[in-house]
Amino acid sequence: MTHTTAKKLLDRYFLEETTLVEEQQLRAYFRAGDIHPDLAAYPPLFSYWEQAGEIVAPKAKRPAVRLKLPMRWLTAAAASAVLLLSLNTWVGPTETTPPPIAEAQPIDWSKYEVTDPEEAYRLLRGALKIASTEINRGPKITIRELGEVSKMLK
Amino acid sequence: MDQYSSIITSVRDRLYRLALRVVNDADEAEDVVQDVLVKSWKKREQIVGLDNPPAWLMRMTKHQAIDRLRSAKVRCTRETEAAAPDFATHTPFQIAASNDTLSHIHRLLQQLPPDQRTVLHLREVEGMDYKEIAEATGLSLQQVKTYLHRGRGKLRTLLLQQRIVES
Repeated sequence: MTHTTAKKLLDRYFLEETTLVEEQQLRAYFRAGDIHPDLAAYPPLFSYWEQAGEIVAPKAKRPAVRLKLPMRWLTAAAASAVLLLSLNTWVGPTETTPPPIAEAQPIDWSKYEVTDPEEAYRLLRGALKIASTEINRGPKITIRELGEVSKMLK
Repeated sequence: MDQYSSIITSVRDRLYRLALRVVNDADEAEDVVQDVLVKSWKKREQIVGLDNPPAWLMRMTKHQAIDRLRSAKVRCTRETEAAAPDFATHTPFQIAASNDTLSHIHRLLQQLPPDQRTVLHLREVEGMDYKEIAEATGLSLQQVKTYLHRGRGKLRTLLLQQRIVES
């Protein structure tokens, strides 16, 4: 390619008028090394593109699928834990006193033991009277309810 | 299955270069490609039946890379205050751009918006025509031409400035 052709081609290149084939010819011209002084600013550009095209993907394979943790939630949980611990340290009691433990006192049942026979008789009689009243109460309620039902049916 | 494997084998380097162009980080680019391959594996039967599976994969890679770039920017903002940047790490593109002018070109490219950068990359590095670029990026033909024109124009300005400074 002549220098004149290269200059024209370069002008068209910057005006978006060149085809891919023409751009390859331009590249070949700059690669050849015999460059017109007017075009001396441009070899680095084409050299840069050439070098960029030689880069290949690394061969070393890394795990294709990585464990994706819910980072947002984990961060929030960690921040909450730190906040709680900080608050506990800051607000919490500095000296810990054990809570009082109630001591069970033994009951002296002998105080409540009835020793007087008359008193024992009186207590027994009262208890039997309460039992008798409660036993009679059930049938009375039943009789009353049955009476109400009979009235409604009449 | 064999058809899917051969598609992936033929396109893997291109996906990596595209991801690298967008995210400008070798590890991130590798992760992007891995994610794309995992997702594409789940849809392998559909992909094999497509008219242009590489274009579909490249579009997916572009979207995935842009998503990662956004999340990386957020992460980077958070981490900047905590740690100094590691100047020792270089991407393959940065290593390739070893001299001053090349590194200027690389820096300028990285300053372009991701879509514009992607279009330039697909044309200049992968040698794709306008229609293929439109399919691979989801942009219209007109957008592709406009982005390419603007990108090349910026690079030309940079090169001429550089030349003036040198001479």
